[in-house]
Amino acid sequence: MARLDRLDVISRKIFAGKIQGERRSRRRGQSVEFADFRNYSHGDDLRFVDWNIYARLDRLFLKLFLEEEDLSMVIAVDMSQSMDGGDPHKFDYARRLAMALGYIGLVNNNRVSLFGFGAERVERLTGLRGRRRTREMGRWLLDRTADGLGGFTDGMRTIALGGQGRGVLIVLSDFLFPDGYEKGLNYVAGRGFDVFALQLLSPEEVDPARHGIAGDLRLIDSETGKETEVTASTAVLSQYRKSLETYIAGLRDFSVRRSITHQVVETSLDMDTLLLDYLRRRGLLA
Amino acid sequence: MSLAVAWLAPFAAAIVALSTLPPLVALYFLRLRRTRRVISSTMLWKRATQDLRANAPFQRLRFSLLLLLQLLALALVIFAIAQPQVELGGSQASRIVFLIDRSGSMNAMDAPDNQSRLDQAKRLAENRLQALHGGGLFSGPAPSVMVIAFAKDAQILCPFTDNIAQAIAAIKGIQPTDETTTLSDSFELARAFTTVTNPDKPTTIAVDAPSYELFSDGRIADLSQSVLRGGERMVFHSIGKSTTMNAGIGAIAVARNPDRPDEVQVFSRVVNWSNEPFTGDLEVVVDDRLRAVTPQPVNVPAAQEDATMHIRVPGETQVVFPSLTLPKGGVIEVRFSKHDLLVADDRAAVVAAPPSALRIALVGRGAFVMKSILEGMSLASLDLFSLAAWNEKMAANPLLPDSFDVIVLDDAMPDDLSRGRYLIFHAPPITAGISPYGTKENATPQSIREGHPLLQYVNLDDLFVSSMTAVAAGGDADVIVESGEGPMMMTLSRGALTFVYVTFDPMESDWPFQRGFVNFFANSIAWLAAGGSAVADEPLAPGDVAKARLPAGAKEVSMLIPGGTTLPIVVQDPSNISYGPLRTTGIYRLNWTAPKGQSGPASLAYAVNMNSRAEGRADTAEEVKFATERIAGIQGGASAETSAWPWLLLAAVAVLFLEWWVWLRRV
Repeated sequence: MARLDRLDVISRKIFAGKIQGERRSRRRGQSVEFADFRNYSHGDDLRFVDWNIYARLDRLFLKLFLEEEDLSMVIAVDMSQSMDGGDPHKFDYARRLAMALGYIGLVNNNRVSLFGFGAERVERLTGLRGRRRTREMGRWLLDRTADGLGGFTDGMRTIALGGQGRGVLIVLSDFLFPDGYEKGLNYVAGRGFDVFALQLLSPEEVDPARHGIAGDLRLIDSETGKETEVTASTAVLSQYRKSLETYIAGLRDFSVRRSITHQVVETSLDMDTLLLDYLRRRGLLA
Repeated sequence: MSLAVAWLAPFAAAIVALSTLPPLVALYFLRLRRTRRVISSTMLWKRATQDLRANAPFQRLRFSLLLLLQLLALALVIFAIAQPQVELGGSQASRIVFLIDRSGSMNAMDAPDNQSRLDQAKRLAENRLQALHGGGLFSGPAPSVMVIAFAKDAQILCPFTDNIAQAIAAIKGIQPTDETTTLSDSFELARAFTTVTNPDKPTTIAVDAPSYELFSDGRIADLSQSVLRGGERMVFHSIGKSTTMNAGIGAIAVARNPDRPDEVQVFSRVVNWSNEPFTGDLEVVVDDRLRAVTPQPVNVPAAQEDATMHIRVPGETQVVFPSLTLPKGGVIEVRFSKHDLLVADDRAAVVAAPPSALRIALVGRGAFVMKSILEGMSLASLDLFSLAAWNEKMAANPLLPDSFDVIVLDDAMPDDLSRGRYLIFHAPPITAGISPYGTKENATPQSIREGHPLLQYVNLDDLFVSSMTAVAAGGDADVIVESGEGPMMMTLSRGALTFVYVTFDPMESDWPFQRGFVNFFANSIAWLAAGGSAVADEPLAPGDVAKARLPAGAKEVSMLIPGGTTLPIVVQDPSNISYGPLRTTGIYRLNWTAPKGQSGPASLAYAVNMNSRAEGRADTAEEVKFATERIAGIQGGASAETSAWPWLLLAAVAVLFLEWWVWLRRV
């Protein structure tokens, strides 16, 4: 927790916040950081008149300061049933990661919003600010279950249109959606979010051969319930790895083209390593 | 070595395969119990299998270890049903010739269950036949089988047939002999049945090369002169043991003392084929009565390998028995006091004729040389006749020739030459088959029948004849010496007439100055006196034919063979009787009833001996060496073809266990 306290969420973009925060804003405000001068106009706060210039030039100029705004931090957690699996459990991992990121946001006085998207529903917890909201955030996450069907597109559209203010959007999902991820990401990519797509994959999804996938299997899709008969031969396993690599590469290409940061996270990865190393290197945390 | 497999029941295997393989593959898909496993998403798995889906069934077949194991097990069972016979040495032929050795050495009692080698060979041949035809109802086309028994000569016991019962009956009917072993006749007989000449194209020969199954101990005399032709294959079933050693009697001879005709001297040669020296006692039995025993055991050295000739040379010892008193004729037998595994050569016998002298007539010029030779022989009488006197006496008594054992015609030809035994010089005999057509000069022998009894110890290499009668010999004349100008010596035996004809006058050649002339003269007298066969008391070899000249009117002729069986003989011409071949050793007695009013013996004995030097080697050969190739023997009771179905079934069970184990591990 102490190490998380030292972390902060950063954004490659400077967004307009709703209240004063700890982020520089394009808007001029009341911070201590000087930005510019402008001519005084009627009604301006006389506290910001540069009286020294008035003495020398006999003209009223107003000092403008950069206003520090809060950061809107949106964490979207995939609650589809495909997240309900893996060892370590993908949804648990997503909730822990969301908790950690949210905590960092709260500690740094960012405006944290949580979204959970699943089948035909988008659940949310918005307007969290300050460390004291940590418990509330944790309880909300604990109450979530992964039992939906897809819903990624609807979730992203809801976030994009939800008026959460522009900021950082962290999507925690395996991105294994039967109807694809493209439409959903397009929603948020066009709305000025600094989007981080963290693709959570369980170890057996990354390397099934080494995690008990062998022999003649009837694989059941936890989300759709559809069955697929697979004989886990060397050729099939090899083909699976190729398919996975192709899928990840496709998601990465799609993300890069839309300035979305994509990062594959294997759920066996230690959380500390993820937060203190991976995400710092990827520019999400500082 | 190539590996050949014969399928006894291919149709059954095909039926089983067609009826089980497709259901197995179908059942595999139905039966396959896949492990149910819930995963996050099957999306990637579907994509992974998408590329393989085009040929998904084959992929499943290819990579399903369980199905592969099941198919393997089923294939093994199908192969087992097909009853494969694994053969080392060649592929299966459509025609198989069973060559079964029935020679003397095959009587060695070293086979299992105290059987003879021939019994073992017959049993193995029967088993082999049944294996070839043992496929049951669904068996494939079995090869045609011919059965040939061979020893001194070959005999087809069963021509090519598909009838196994007929072939087995032929094998069962093979009787042992004591003959020597030759194989070339067998090849000729078999090839006569497998070589077909197209009548439209006389030069074209269609050959259906047979496969030979040789059941023998491998001691075959003429192997080096035999070759397997292209396409022919042979499997050598080695019968007997290579450790069997044998000693036997290689020769026996009896000679009467010229000064004391009542006494006979018995000579014998003992042959040892063993690696160890042989020691044993010999007995002399006369007419089944023991007359003498060697005073001390006879020692015969061990056989030696001749590294130069690559042959085995037996150890030999000559044994001379003390003189025996034998005032009459009789059967003299020399035998071992103890038998070894090959009994036939442990004895040898000879029929000693009673002491008698010959009565000779010399007709014609009475040349000094001939007269001198005849006077030097121990004769009962020698009568000299001029040609005119002989013709005159013949006219008075046509049976006059029967009064003499041999009549020598010295450049003289009687008016009547219908009966009698003659030694004729120069003047051509007036009889059918001999056609004189002139005179030839300066003749030398070109072709000589070396082995003929008349030419024993007769060297004709230096013979030069200044003038000879040119004759054309046909019919039953047997030419034994021939020059470039025509026959020089011949024999003819026709009814009551037997003669030896020399077409030149010895006085017009250098022959009288050579020792061979005297030997020829003596041989001819003895040969003629014995009736045109070998010398009277010379024993026969197994396979020889017994010949006899019985008195006219002889009836109820029969042959008493070894073992005590009497076989009647139908006689057309008592003056020329042949019986045989005499295939086993022992004493054969020809009996007859003399016509009324005639005196003389009514029985004639023949001794048949197995020459141990020729057939006595009893250690089984490990291979047969033909002129161009060697064929290793299949030892003991092993078969050339081994039934593989038990092993296939065993393998199928093992594969099923493996499949079960793999399945348990997966489920």
